[in-house]
Amino acid sequence: MSGLERAQALLLANRPEDVLRELAVLPATDAVSARAFHLRCAALVQLNRWTEAAEAARHGLTAGGPDPDLLRLLADAEQELGNLEVAERAALDGLALDPQDIDLLCCYARICMAAGQVDKAGKLVERAAAIQPNAAVVYGARVQLAFSRGDDRTAQRIAREFVAEYPESAAAHALLGGTSALRGQVNAADSGIRQAVAAEPTVDDYAQLAMETKLAKHPLLIPVRPFVRFGPVKTWIAAVIVLFGLRALGLYTLLLVFSLTWIALCVYSWVVPPLVRRWVTRRWR
Amino acid sequence: MTDDLFTPTVRTPSAPAKPPWRPDSIVYPAFFGGPLAATVLGLLNGRRLSLTRTHLMLIAVAGIAAIAARVVFVATTGGNSLGRLSGAVAGLLVWLVVNALQRRPFRAFLQNNGEPASLVWPGVLAAIGCGLAEAALIFGVIL
Repeated sequence: MSGLERAQALLLANRPEDVLRELAVLPATDAVSARAFHLRCAALVQLNRWTEAAEAARHGLTAGGPDPDLLRLLADAEQELGNLEVAERAALDGLALDPQDIDLLCCYARICMAAGQVDKAGKLVERAAAIQPNAAVVYGARVQLAFSRGDDRTAQRIAREFVAEYPESAAAHALLGGTSALRGQVNAADSGIRQAVAAEPTVDDYAQLAMETKLAKHPLLIPVRPFVRFGPVKTWIAAVIVLFGLRALGLYTLLLVFSLTWIALCVYSWVVPPLVRRWVTRRWR
Repeated sequence: MTDDLFTPTVRTPSAPAKPPWRPDSIVYPAFFGGPLAATVLGLLNGRRLSLTRTHLMLIAVAGIAAIAARVVFVATTGGNSLGRLSGAVAGLLVWLVVNALQRRPFRAFLQNNGEPASLVWPGVLAAIGCGLAEAALIFGVIL
């Protein structure tokens, strides 16, 4: 097996640091090949080292000429760096080579979402879904699209479909965990993220999400859960109904107790979560 | 093939001078401080999220309407516990408008790897400052 083949296998095994190590000892002719830059770029993307990833992608494009995969990696890296116009240029150059590439369509959709152009992103995702509705990347983009629209319920539903279709996928479990967290379902969130970490323990993003969901399960935050789960409006309407109910029944002592508890709970849900977060994350560092 | 979807439209958003707060978090100062606090924070956050002029005007209009409604309510019912409750209700109504207009731009900000600012201290200040100002307006000037 050649060094490049070994690096490729390591990349598939989610061992990006070993990929870089392998690439560093390649013979000179292989080291400047387009494929080596491709592997290097993909490994750097996995490591969230965006500046270097963009640089590797550009070297690869110079060495091997235009390539849809490399252009997508370049677009991903530039988007992460916040250079949305550069990212768009790279994605469009890639789509000019292959307009049916679902990875590129979804990549461009993500750039549009980051730029706040949700409607265009929606059309791009639709097009990718028409080509390959069950692709993992399409599921991921649909979840993100629903998130951008502020529709957390749909985001969670699509994430559930994603998990059903790809029960082994760490990304699917992480998305289900993340969308459950948005809806205040702390236990579902925690179990989703745990499964993602179990499937891919080396991915930093999952480990960070796991920290968040563990935080949400902190015992001091139990009184806050109704606010997170049902949102402030529903919780508040429920409280007002109880307040007026007690008033109508003439139970003034209970009314006083309930009002005081309610105010205390509101203050608690405002003040305690940031304190718990500061306190717990400090301990983890 | 000419394809509308494949024409460049993206503009890199100009980095805000200050990162926005989570629109969700404004509910707390809105509840404790009332409609004036919700409006002030909603407008400041709207600026940070580069909302359009129309949307900023909508927040301002909702805020003024909520404050006016509260003044009328307190003037007709007198300054009892219902009057205090009306501040929280009016604040929440303004927050509903703020949240509806800021949810999407805030999600785009997050997708652009933005890190929101903490609303804890500005929120406490707005709740106390605006709450007192509103109470002074209602109970000092009008009643």
